[in-house]
Amino acid sequence: MFGYYLDLALRSLKRTPILTGLMVLAIGLGIGAAMTMLTVLHVMTDDPLPGRSAHLYTPHLDPLPLDYKQGGDGPDPTDDLTWPDAMALLKAQRATRQAAMAGGSLLLRPGRADLRPFYVDGRYATADFFALFGVPFLQGSGWSAADDAAGAQVVVLVDALARKLFGTGNAVGRMVRLGEHDYRVIGVTRDWQPAPMFYVDASAKRYSDGDMFFLPLATAVDRKLDVNGNFSSWGEDRAETRMVSPTTTWLQFWAQLDTPAQAAAYRQYLVDYSAQQKALGRFQRPPANAKLYGLMGWLAHENLVPGDVRLQLWLALGFLFVCMLNIVALLLAKFLRRSGEISVRRALGAKRRDIFVQLGIESALIGVAGGALGLAIAQLGLWSIRQRPDDYARLAQMDMPMLLGTLALAVLASVLAGLLPAWRACRVPPALQLKML
Amino acid sequence: MRILHQIRPILAALRSHKTAVMLLVLEIALTMAVLGNLVFIVYDTINRSHVSTGIAESQIGWLQNIGVVGQDNPVTGAENLAVLRAVPGVADAAYVSPPLVYAQRNPLFIDPSRKQPVAQVYEFQGSQGLVDTFGLHVIQGREPTLDELPVAATVTSDAVFPVLVTQALAAHLFPDGHALGKLIYDGGGNPMRIVGIVDHLRGEITGRVDDDYAVVTQLLLGAQNVGGGFTIRVHEATQLPQVLQAAAIALQKANPGHVQNAALTMAEARESYFRNALAAGRMLVAIMLILLVVTALGVSGLASFWVQQRRRQIGMRRALGATRRDILHYFQMENLLIVSGGVLLGTLFAYALNLFLMHRFELAHLPAHYLVVGALALWALGQLAVLGPALRAANVPPVVATRSV
Repeated sequence: MFGYYLDLALRSLKRTPILTGLMVLAIGLGIGAAMTMLTVLHVMTDDPLPGRSAHLYTPHLDPLPLDYKQGGDGPDPTDDLTWPDAMALLKAQRATRQAAMAGGSLLLRPGRADLRPFYVDGRYATADFFALFGVPFLQGSGWSAADDAAGAQVVVLVDALARKLFGTGNAVGRMVRLGEHDYRVIGVTRDWQPAPMFYVDASAKRYSDGDMFFLPLATAVDRKLDVNGNFSSWGEDRAETRMVSPTTTWLQFWAQLDTPAQAAAYRQYLVDYSAQQKALGRFQRPPANAKLYGLMGWLAHENLVPGDVRLQLWLALGFLFVCMLNIVALLLAKFLRRSGEISVRRALGAKRRDIFVQLGIESALIGVAGGALGLAIAQLGLWSIRQRPDDYARLAQMDMPMLLGTLALAVLASVLAGLLPAWRACRVPPALQLKML
Repeated sequence: MRILHQIRPILAALRSHKTAVMLLVLEIALTMAVLGNLVFIVYDTINRSHVSTGIAESQIGWLQNIGVVGQDNPVTGAENLAVLRAVPGVADAAYVSPPLVYAQRNPLFIDPSRKQPVAQVYEFQGSQGLVDTFGLHVIQGREPTLDELPVAATVTSDAVFPVLVTQALAAHLFPDGHALGKLIYDGGGNPMRIVGIVDHLRGEITGRVDDDYAVVTQLLLGAQNVGGGFTIRVHEATQLPQVLQAAAIALQKANPGHVQNAALTMAEARESYFRNALAAGRMLVAIMLILLVVTALGVSGLASFWVQQRRRQIGMRRALGATRRDILHYFQMENLLIVSGGVLLGTLFAYALNLFLMHRFELAHLPAHYLVVGALALWALGQLAVLGPALRAANVPPVVATRSV
């Protein structure tokens, strides 16, 4: 029966090529616009570390005094941790792996005449950073907890930077001058950049270039290296001491918790730790303010999708809706005009359901063609998004699930649009129509 | 009058196509709602991109010059300014970064305990000559004299800085109009005394009222070497690119150890500041145009179907004496009625959508004249879309009436 209906649908569509073209165009434009924006949203809220993200959590404490008032559009101080709190969580070792980190920007002076000094972005982190996030090494390895404690003068480079400095040869063992100090290269990682950059501080760009180097956090604190991130302070704020101040937050912290039970235990540990700090008089707010976010939960909390992208998504969906209304009207006209034909089929024994299915298949066929056109339009739309200067723009590419999703959405939209017209058409009274033929 | 007499039969005929008419009305209404709001958003963006920052933008350029500690940088801050001023064509120079290039908002307090911020302001802190370089207009009070400026090298944390504030900020902080001489405080720095009021200085152009809330602090730069942003103002706006280039070379020559040179005219800074919003605006315009095309296609598609469906009736009317013009008018009138229904409903939808957007995206209230323009556009579009089918209907020969279809 399906083959027959398909044949009928094709004949019917061929009979009115202009109208069919209009409907395919309408669904194609609507689907193209909607999928362009859905793809942007998809890449912006994508899982940055598939396979690992479910076990990664970021703890947040509330060390603020009771009378602290958040001023204007400044950063939320509780987004980050203070040095004493981060070190306490690190030493407690309650998670499988844990690391504290902060972004840094340092002047790199290559010991080569053909390269001028330039600034590079990187990360100051504790030893577990690499194992925690599964950063793949090409040469050498990361540093140890002992190196952390000793404030070792070592650095891990990302492949792109290692190549720029040392060519294709072995970089491990070479020296790099970052800021005012020399560091020994102990490892080179593959070019590694999760998108979005979930572990950076709120002031950083989440979709731009990743870290180019990694330094032990203790070394950065010892030498008071430049941090590019928010320092939020609610007590004494002096440049010399603010990195280790108990009243200045600036560190990000991530932990690996393998089971829900472990996560629950960790959450309880955070509350207990806060209660203990409150008993000591350091914290003033309720210990239950301590929070543990999962990776995707944290990204949702950070609300990465900018307002204009959301606005455009709503507009695109509204546009798709208008296109669908258009198709409903056109299909209605088309199906009702065939009342005579439908009545003949009904008189020859076709059930209402048969007519409904036949017309549904015709709508779906329009959807398939519209989906194909929509794919092309969406590619064009994504190309135009990639020309934008935003940091997320270059990620705007369609993957396989989105590709299939486009076709599915197109067929769904056209079948939905065909429902009302098909229902109206299959309720045409055959006797009356036959008399008029 | 003849046309008006046609309305009743048209309405009667439309009643037998209720669903299709409803759909068309709904489509036009939604188009109108989206159209009105989109035009408003895009127009607002374009307007915004022409708002002045309050500085003499056409004559101003910015140089970034960052020093490297331990490298050979014999020149002091004051000498750097002198180097820049000596470049032919430069009217003035100061150590400061202009609006749009570097703008950060800080909380401002009027009580020394700094408990409750009263505003978020843009702080412009720079060297002597800042006010003249920006070309600010002091409208009340005065610019602090050179002797009054705190000396950057020896300043203590309790020294009171003489500052200028914008008119808008002064009115916001001290509605009674007595801002001069009052003390204000930022997050962590020195107390500041308002000695003068400038007309405008916008750190950014977002459309908010507090864009124009700014505090200007000048410090006397002496022997210390600072790197960072230098702003220059040139005599002739047309010479800006060349003079800026010459200034960058002069500064680099004086500071061989400096790295990362960037040179930017305010026109370029403005272009890059608005690039994003204007790109988004272009996309909205594209959506708008496509939406209009789709709606027009829908209207004309449905109209041609109705024409085909009513060929016999049209033939009968012609046979009974209706002129081609009557038939043409009939379909044009029918379209006008449907679009009018859509416009009425669309006005409601447009306001509803505007309320939603205001709630979610800090959009302003939609002025009524956008809706009038939207309605006119849709009426014109409807007439254009129906013209083809209506002409075809007018060409139906009366003889059709006598044939069976």
